[in-house]
Amino acid sequence: MADRTPAPDTPELRERWGSFEFTADYKAKADKAIARYPEGRQRSAVMPLLDLAQRQVGEETDTQGWLPLPVIEYVARYLDMPVIRVLEVATFYFMYNLKPVGKYHVQVCGTTPCMLRGSDGLFETCKKRGMKKGAVSEDGLWTLTEVECMGNCATAPMVQINDDNYEDLTPERLDTILDALARGEQPKTGTQEPGRHTSEPLGGPTTLKEMVEANHDYRGEW
Amino acid sequence: MPKVTVDGQEIEVPDGATVLQACELAGKEIPRFCYHERLSIAGNCRMCLVEVKPGPPKPQASCALPATEGQEIRTDSQMVKTAREGVMEFLLINHPLDCPICDQGGECDLQDQAVAYGRGGSRYHENKRAVTEKYMGPLIKTIMTRCIHCTRCVRFSEEVAGVDEIGALYRGEDMQITTYLEQAAQHELSANVIDLCPVGALTSRPYAFEARPWELKKTLSIDVSDAVGANIRLDSRGREVMRALPRINDDVNEEWLSDKGRYMVDGLTRRRLDKVWIRKRGKLQQATWEEAFKAIARAKPGKSIAAIAGDLVDCETMFAARKLLGAMGSGLLEGRQTGMDYPADNLAAMAFNSTFAGIETADAILIVGSQVRHEAALVNVRLRKAARRGAKVFVVGPQWETTYPAEFLGEDVSVLGNLPAEVAEVFDKAERPAVIVGAGGLAAGAFEPALALAQGWSREGWNGFNVLHTAAARMGGLMLGYAQKGGMAEVAKAEPKVVLALGADEVDWSAFDKSLKVYIGHHGDKGAHAADIILPGATYAEKDGTYVNTEGRVQFAEKAVFAPGDAREDWTILRALADALGVEVGFDSFAELQSAMIAEVPALGVEGLADLGPLPKAAKGGKGKGGTISYPVADFYLTNPIARASAVMQRCSAELARGEEILEAAE
Amino acid sequence: MKFLAKIFTWWDGATIGTLLHSWRHGEHVGTDAQGNRYYRSRRKSADGRERRWVIYEGANDASRVPSEWHGWLHGAFDDVPESHLPPARIWEADFTPNATGTQGAYLPQGALQRGGRRAAATGDYEAWSPDS
Repeated sequence: MADRTPAPDTPELRERWGSFEFTADYKAKADKAIARYPEGRQRSAVMPLLDLAQRQVGEETDTQGWLPLPVIEYVARYLDMPVIRVLEVATFYFMYNLKPVGKYHVQVCGTTPCMLRGSDGLFETCKKRGMKKGAVSEDGLWTLTEVECMGNCATAPMVQINDDNYEDLTPERLDTILDALARGEQPKTGTQEPGRHTSEPLGGPTTLKEMVEANHDYRGEW
Repeated sequence: MPKVTVDGQEIEVPDGATVLQACELAGKEIPRFCYHERLSIAGNCRMCLVEVKPGPPKPQASCALPATEGQEIRTDSQMVKTAREGVMEFLLINHPLDCPICDQGGECDLQDQAVAYGRGGSRYHENKRAVTEKYMGPLIKTIMTRCIHCTRCVRFSEEVAGVDEIGALYRGEDMQITTYLEQAAQHELSANVIDLCPVGALTSRPYAFEARPWELKKTLSIDVSDAVGANIRLDSRGREVMRALPRINDDVNEEWLSDKGRYMVDGLTRRRLDKVWIRKRGKLQQATWEEAFKAIARAKPGKSIAAIAGDLVDCETMFAARKLLGAMGSGLLEGRQTGMDYPADNLAAMAFNSTFAGIETADAILIVGSQVRHEAALVNVRLRKAARRGAKVFVVGPQWETTYPAEFLGEDVSVLGNLPAEVAEVFDKAERPAVIVGAGGLAAGAFEPALALAQGWSREGWNGFNVLHTAAARMGGLMLGYAQKGGMAEVAKAEPKVVLALGADEVDWSAFDKSLKVYIGHHGDKGAHAADIILPGATYAEKDGTYVNTEGRVQFAEKAVFAPGDAREDWTILRALADALGVEVGFDSFAELQSAMIAEVPALGVEGLADLGPLPKAAKGGKGKGGTISYPVADFYLTNPIARASAVMQRCSAELARGEEILEAAE
Repeated sequence: MKFLAKIFTWWDGATIGTLLHSWRHGEHVGTDAQGNRYYRSRRKSADGRERRWVIYEGANDASRVPSEWHGWLHGAFDDVPESHLPPARIWEADFTPNATGTQGAYLPQGALQRGGRRAAATGDYEAWSPDS
């Protein structure tokens, strides 16, 4: 977390991003987000706008996108609010990248349930492929980040890559997914366990078994 | 009016009061860091925990909890004691133990409350957090490791100053308070965050490692850097004023102080006049008091003597000079150095009649020719409050960066004669419309049309006509008759043989070529360079004095230190000069001088708002006199001789006003 | 001249009487780096103790006795310092006599003899002059 600082304000950064503006497409989305809030409360749209800006930066650089300072300033101007308030938001939430990331932002959950189910192996797998925590790999494809709980504990361990979750992973399954991504394919998202659809119990329900067939009234059995 | 019980004592509290306020009303001390009376409620330090019934069975943050009927509040239970100890232990986890080298030591909320409410020791053995220093400009020194994230500074700059520049970046343990890209805090009230900071994270840079609070002598004084008359406390050690701090006065400055009033005090020890100088063959040479008095007597002024009051002089000095001139048979008194010649026969038309506290309640404000931020930063705070309550603000004059929504109507005074219809409608409908005429407006001849406008919008029980002066001495000077009909031009036309310049540094002296210019003042500034005889006087910190602020509020300042070298309190110089000129002025001591002054101008004897009588009727046909407005304050940090002598103010001017890069000196 | 000084003065080295006494009753034990000569009495006194004394090379200033001989002189040990004390460490500074009252005396930064300026203090002010 300590390395989560905005990329330094250099003349190169200013030159590259100083003229950043929403494209017509993103502008429409941004204005739609702003329109959700009542007149005089446009600042409330700062989070969607930062996300849109990050996505547009991502498109322009063919990566997951990040928020250079000039872009943050642009969002502040767009919403007519002080830059420091926008920067507060951008530095608070982990989903806003303050430094450039690769094409695939591999966010491995390292919180207790995932750790108990083998997230250490997932980190090993990622590191073997040349990923380093908080840095873009040499081929520009990967950025590895360790994140805290993403709310998929029932299907731990899990990895979030860009906007998709991949759950019930083993090192081998993760390897397959990363291979597919490297080839430019879109692997199946969600759980990777064969026969499992979402986060239902493996091997059929263990409680309320009668409810599977029909609406069973348990009250008499209490 | 809910009734609550605090520690068994039943009290009635006003509607909308919080539990913390209820406890204070009951006389209980509630420790707090983030809560501040003049800022919004944040509730993030958790120090004000109390036990409240009915409610969840846990301590509650009293600052953010509204007091309701029938609440039973306990501030002395074991739960509260334990909670406070716990919060304090958490706060101290990451707070460094560097009190011995911390400038806040001795006046630190955390120190005091740790002693009063903390545990004996910490159970925390891990490494403490460290945070890098943030640059916040030449006035604020930061040691951010000491920060406890109360966010008072953030709320101050957002809510009071109206300049969003301080923020809290990152989250959790990594939270850091900083300005955007560590730019200097750029507004006129920035140093108030130093007072607000409950710990030593934000301290005063010029005052760093200078003194400890307990070795300072505190003197109650009045700020003279502008016409607001902010109540200040001068902290002095020995013969030197170490710092100026605001005092609480809800009618004047609340508890804020402009950066200039706070930091120009280091100018009190620089460029000081501490000897008598006489110009001989075009060159100023050191002399004695006797020589100087003889030289003035030799000029044989008779009736041909004038006195020009500067911006910083007190009423006593001006009155002593008036007495002296009166004894000589002259009435050539003038205080408006830059040549303004607005009519000054009616004092009510010269004052800020709505009062500072009153202007907060105005709902439509027309500012005519005043860069309020620079001319009276503390009035700008009030205007911002009014604007936040929904007041519409309009400005006539060149554009400046307001801290509230304001509409600029043009730079020419003639706008006042034909206001746009929608603007006029706002004022016609307003319950409390106010007009503020600044020095720029007065100089451009906006006085008559503005008065006419204000009278057109008069309301029962509300006086909306305000004049915002820029000089601390102005209102007192006008009360003492320091105004000629034609302003400075008339004084120059009279070609007085002797001109007494009472700290007058803004005068164009070329008009007084034939006069013997006697400068009685404290700083070697423009006035001293032009003078023929220099008599060293005392600054506002070095003499007792009465000041009248732009509202017409009479306030007394006390003497904090002695004037340096041969310098004397100004009234003694004028008294001795009377002897040299062989006239009788009728006072031999300061007390006699004061009682003579109060006998002639009774209003100056009573602290508080002076009764200045009713407003005059605006002259007909005063409308539409044109003139482009320009603001008198070119550089906020360098408006008076003390500030111009101050190294801190010069640096502020270079870095903040003119934007020069100043390399940080290696510390 | 030197002979006359020996007779009539007492501040440099030993007087005639002391020299005679040292020659008759004293045993020369050693000499330190400055040339001061250390003696002890050949006969012990009635209570069984020997007397020890020093004859200075130059001014009779007790602070000129270096620390190692100071110990011997005051009976802290009986052997001469060269054999009794461990060899001097390289980080030990050379012995210097008390410099008070001499040219080499320490003067603080602000001392007038050193031509020093006093440090800035509270209440100092910078006076204006017309040329500034």
